[in-house]
Amino acid sequence: MREALQSLFLLRQAPNPTALAICLGLALAASVLLLYALHRLLGPRGRRWLIALVTFVGGLFFGLEWFYPARGHPSKNFLTDWIEPVSNMLTVVGAFTVGLGIYSLSQVHGRNVRLRRPGWHNSLAFFIAMVAMFVFGLWEHYLHLREPLPKLVPWPKGIYEILFSGLFAPLQAATFSLLAFYIASAAYRAFRIRTAEAGLMMAAAFVVMLGQVPVGAWLTSAIPAASGWSFFRLEKLGEWVLAWLNTPAQRAITFGVAIGALAMSLRVWLSLERGTFFSEQS
Amino acid sequence: MQQIPRHYIYLLLAGVVVWQLLAPMPLPISPSTATRGLYEAIRAVPEGKLIIISTDWDASTQAETWPQTEAVIHACFQARKRFVIMNMQPPMGVKLANDIALEVGKQYRARYGVDWANWGYKYGYGNVLMAMAKDIAKTIGDDFYGRPVTRLPLMQGVRSIRDIGLVVEVTGLAGVTEYWIGLIQGPYQVPFAAAYTAVMAPGYYPYLDSGQMKGMLVGAKGAAEMEALVRSPGKATTIMNVQSWAHLLIIALIVVGNLGYLLARGRREERRQ
Repeated sequence: MREALQSLFLLRQAPNPTALAICLGLALAASVLLLYALHRLLGPRGRRWLIALVTFVGGLFFGLEWFYPARGHPSKNFLTDWIEPVSNMLTVVGAFTVGLGIYSLSQVHGRNVRLRRPGWHNSLAFFIAMVAMFVFGLWEHYLHLREPLPKLVPWPKGIYEILFSGLFAPLQAATFSLLAFYIASAAYRAFRIRTAEAGLMMAAAFVVMLGQVPVGAWLTSAIPAASGWSFFRLEKLGEWVLAWLNTPAQRAITFGVAIGALAMSLRVWLSLERGTFFSEQS
Repeated sequence: MQQIPRHYIYLLLAGVVVWQLLAPMPLPISPSTATRGLYEAIRAVPEGKLIIISTDWDASTQAETWPQTEAVIHACFQARKRFVIMNMQPPMGVKLANDIALEVGKQYRARYGVDWANWGYKYGYGNVLMAMAKDIAKTIGDDFYGRPVTRLPLMQGVRSIRDIGLVVEVTGLAGVTEYWIGLIQGPYQVPFAAAYTAVMAPGYYPYLDSGQMKGMLVGAKGAAEMEALVRSPGKATTIMNVQSWAHLLIIALIVVGNLGYLLARGRREERRQ
């Protein structure tokens, strides 16, 4: 069984591309059929039970593999060899969610374009961008597989570079960098010393802000680094605030979050969390 | 003093940024203990073991994570340590890091597959790390260029996580460190270090304090400090000049806003009396 699963995922390394394509097509058709059959045969209650069962078995598998004593060299237990095929299955499920996302986005934006809703040209831009990146991304990827590698940079790679490095990356960076302006404006408008605690917070913020940049070290460079007063150099003071005041507070938060996450994980594993797995439908 | 129009604030900030980009004022950069920790951890990797640089970032944080990755790669090449790039989220990071490694590699005449490699984007966080701990080649499968990793000369003798000498995680994304520490650093005692954006770094000081993390680069400052250590001043050093004066401007604005607030409060109290 385990070998069969492993060989299924190793098909991509198969020497015969036709056989690979046929196997992929069959696997896709079988997956669609299985999903359709489950959708038709199971009601909301049945679906909930199926998902709860799969969730429980999945959680049990990873939990047991992790905690069950391992022996030998390399250290293994009876579940260790299953980790790789199960991980591959999770990757495939993840790939399905990407497909689902594309389907859902296409539905929403397709409707906008079809009905000429306000802003429909943005939806059209989405389709053009998605198709362009998809086509040239794949093309570029398969060019890399050619051996020996071509000496000249082929034009699909050039277009891909323009789309990715010339458009996508700078657009994302530019959008995020706008935050600097909002932060400057918000800090000026909202940061007011109304209480003693706010004053303390502002003092700590100033020390850390200046300690994190070279100008802080420059401002207090008159204090000799080897003297007993060197603690008051802004870079040292900033580091002290982060290491001695921030660390225990962060550790306390981490412990609290970890306990909460453990409780939440247990609830999800045992399907006790309300509002999940179609419980609202039933 | 409390009512400066926001357009003026934007203009002031843009002015400071442009001024420092065009005519930077050189400022002293002295490496912190956390940065030195990462630098020493790279140099301490035993011969024959690989360094994993997990580049879990995208263009939104590249002002900090790009120079961090660049400085870490410089340190690896300078110390003649072989490394691999991998990425678990967001997928863009693996391509950006690949571009950096190709560019920096030219300076050191590094060869792909021999001195460094790119394992590509791997989906699945925890289960990828759990599987990788047992069998790297099977879990990774193909590299960034779609070729089996087993064919890369640098992968000879690399079987499981025990053959990894250091993991350096460069990220602008909270939550990935916990997977590395929980599933790799803790159980297998693989040395771990990280580079974070300045805004998320304070959350990871407990790991540095406990020794679970060998070193840490904090934002562009950490990258600039690493550039100073590898004697290759680059983007981060320029960014630090810009950031220095931008921080001073923000502090000045906060002070001005509070002066206005205190004066207005004083006047209100006078009127009441």
